[in-house]
Amino acid sequence: MSSRKKVLLKVIILGDSGVGKTSLMNQFVNKKFSNQYKATIGADFLTKEVIVDDRIVTMQIWDTAGQERFQSLGVAFYRGADCCVLVFDVTAPNTFKSLESWRDEFLIQASPRDPDHFPFVILGNKVDLDNRAVSAKRAQQWCQSKNDIPYFETSAKEAVNVELAFQTIARNALAQETEAELYNEFPDQIKLNANDNNRNRDGDNCAC
Amino acid sequence: MSCSSTEDLPDQYKELFTQDGVLLKACIGRPISDLNSIGMLCVVQNSDGTKCIEWRPNDLITIDSDTQDQEWAVVNTIGRRQRTLSGNMTSDYAAARARIVRIPLAELKTFKVTRNNQQMQFSTKSGVWQNTFYFQHGNAEIFVAYLKNHVKTAKTRHDRNTYVVVESNIDSQALNKSFTELDIFTENTTDVVWSLVSNFKQRPYETTMEAFSKLTDIVWSVLVYYGNEGLNGKRDVSEEVADLLTKSMSALEDTTSITKSDEYEVITVKPTLPPRPCIPRGTPLSTEKWEGLQDTEGRILEVEGVKQLIFRGGVAHSIRPAVWKYLLDYYPWRSTHSEIRKIQKRKTEEYFSMKLQWRSITERQESRFSEYRERKSLVEKDVNRTDRSHPFFAGDNNPNVLLLQDILMTYVMYNFDLGYVQGMSDVLAPLLLLLGNEVDSFWCFAGFMEKIASNFDMDQAGMKQQLLNLQQLLTFAVPDLAKHLASKDSGNMYFCFRWLLVWFKREFSFSDIMRLWEVLWTGLPCANFHLLICVAILDAEKDVLISKDYGFNEILKHVNDLSMCLDIDKILSTAEGIYHQLMSAPHLTDQIRIILGIPTAANNPNDRNEESESEDLGDEEPGRENARNQANGYTRI
Ligand SMILES: Nc1nc2c(ncn2[C@@H]2O[C@H](COP(=O)(O)OP(=O)(O)O)[C@@H](O)[C@H]2O)c(=O)[nH]1
Ligand SMILES: [Mg+2]
Repeated sequence: MSSRKKVLLKVIILGDSGVGKTSLMNQFVNKKFSNQYKATIGADFLTKEVIVDDRIVTMQIWDTAGQERFQSLGVAFYRGADCCVLVFDVTAPNTFKSLESWRDEFLIQASPRDPDHFPFVILGNKVDLDNRAVSAKRAQQWCQSKNDIPYFETSAKEAVNVELAFQTIARNALAQETEAELYNEFPDQIKLNANDNNRNRDGDNCAC
Repeated sequence: MSCSSTEDLPDQYKELFTQDGVLLKACIGRPISDLNSIGMLCVVQNSDGTKCIEWRPNDLITIDSDTQDQEWAVVNTIGRRQRTLSGNMTSDYAAARARIVRIPLAELKTFKVTRNNQQMQFSTKSGVWQNTFYFQHGNAEIFVAYLKNHVKTAKTRHDRNTYVVVESNIDSQALNKSFTELDIFTENTTDVVWSLVSNFKQRPYETTMEAFSKLTDIVWSVLVYYGNEGLNGKRDVSEEVADLLTKSMSALEDTTSITKSDEYEVITVKPTLPPRPCIPRGTPLSTEKWEGLQDTEGRILEVEGVKQLIFRGGVAHSIRPAVWKYLLDYYPWRSTHSEIRKIQKRKTEEYFSMKLQWRSITERQESRFSEYRERKSLVEKDVNRTDRSHPFFAGDNNPNVLLLQDILMTYVMYNFDLGYVQGMSDVLAPLLLLLGNEVDSFWCFAGFMEKIASNFDMDQAGMKQQLLNLQQLLTFAVPDLAKHLASKDSGNMYFCFRWLLVWFKREFSFSDIMRLWEVLWTGLPCANFHLLICVAILDAEKDVLISKDYGFNEILKHVNDLSMCLDIDKILSTAEGIYHQLMSAPHLTDQIRIILGIPTAANNPNDRNEESESEDLGDEEPGRENARNQANGYTRI
């Protein structure tokens, strides 16, 4: 495929209110953490150019409000996503338990072409805190059970693993995007192959 | 289908346009006692189809609504009043009727607009100004614009304020008649469209503005109707209409734009909105004025008057803590100083007993009470990220952040069904900043929440409804922008979600949001005025959004980035201007009337009378005036 073609990767960050979605996005894009960020109302996105395998791609990262009643409006922004990032707070078990329903909700609302192989990435955030309540092992097990979703332990506050996580997000989103393109150009033959590739890569890149 | 009841009543006398608050300053041949009285300036159509400018004193209208059991009755609808008269009038009424001033349009020679667009003079004989009127509310712009639809004018070379009538009654009588005969709102709609089409076909194309506005009225509703309902397989009818209109309206390029599309919307008739009046903002309600408004025991009797003042200019910062308590229904307007002291005492006790309810939950209780725990942690998370950059809430262990938390937790006990929803901490922050006091802030917050509780519904029905209503208002007021948004997948107006949820809290500085909120709390000049604020902001961004061909993402980004870059006074003034434009639009639909909480064309006139009687006012006469002013969209200063 042509490397000159401009690529836009749409990434959606989901998770309960307060897990650190907005902070993670800002840490990745603006390289800073502030405890003056406001709770997200409605939706917003930030863009950032990154290099993935010698290609310059633009990541468009969408952040929405986490409280469940606002989700019915958030779904308007899911469409066309190339990757979905699910975030929980390692100090709040409830936010971990919610991952399943965030994932299901996304798959229903965004209805990606191939839900079984749509790229997700899980981030267990706030590892800088010492009142940890969800173990890395428990999180990893869950990720493995869901088709080997890549899992990262992050701290938006102390910029731990944020860069690495978003590199993986970008790579998997790009794979998804490329696959989607191929699919559109050659509807039938390519599909199965591309899926297989995508899956292998997901597995390799698991950083835990 | 929305339609006016005017069309289907046998009475031919019709008011085509009315403007309230017009003072008769001079009138040749009238006794001085008739002058300087306030009334309503209208353009009316007589039963023979001729039209005239008519000024009617207000006391006549007062009598009208007082005497419903008389044999004659007055049917009031917004902007269109009609009457059925018979011989049995009271003598008062007859006397008042004698004071009506009439200027037949056919005789009108010149008119002149002076004194900052607030004065209008009319002449039917060269060299003499027979009538002078003074527009107390707003100005004569809309009236002149309307008048120009009926008479062809030219400006004189020496005096730019004087208009010479070159042709009066420019619409053809025949055309008028054919519309009446169409009886458009009772027949099968498809037939009506066809007969409309064939009638229109036969008309010469030198259609005047008047004829056009009439047509728009009808065609618009027909199209809107079909647009919503689908054509039940008869789409070709509307296409035929579109084609015909394309041909016949090409002469009116300024007012119509016709676009072809494979979808249902084959034609867009740019509604003929009257020009937008520019209404300057007033000065804030001052301490002196506020004190002057209270009687010796502290009661505020001129409630409507106070609200009008606040609507116009807001409240001076130093008296905000006092005035907001009334605006947010913590203190009733008519309570005396001693009553207020009792209220404070009672409300303080009530607050602390609710606070105690959650304060006394022990840690062990909490560990078995997940719902409570979740709410508490949600509140905690949000207060910790509420306006922390403002000095009042800045820094670690800030006691004001704790106050936010306590008030919101107590609100959870006050309204457990609703609980805490994101956005509430934003709503509370300016109140606490201003009032400083926990109890006052709580009750004012509770009062504010009364007004916007539906924003926080579990099913978000209230928000969805508002987004829909906003889209409908925008379609009517700024159709080209609404069309652009729809074409970019943004017709759902989601990008305005933040504006609506917390009433623009995130878009303005603290001092500006205080101004905006106090204006909105007055409930003037109509329901859902905050939606017109949205329309005003979007209207100012229209050129950028359209000319740069912004899509879904860019629209959202652009709108989000407007935060802290908006001029509150300009927006308030524009929103009010848009409101007046809508009110005087000849094609105003019931859909819009319902959103703005004004009576629909089909409404029972008695409802309106009851409304004005229940107005919370001391003085009878201004009371009526206010009610009417409000209904007609003119705010009394
Ligand atoms: N200690 C710590 N706090 C964090 C971290 N990320 C976010 N926070 C805090 O958690 C709260 C919620 O963060 P935010 O990004 O607004 O969460 P969102 O609702 O998911 O967008 C804020 O008070 C942040 O300062 C982190 O990595 N470590
Ligand atoms: Mg957020």
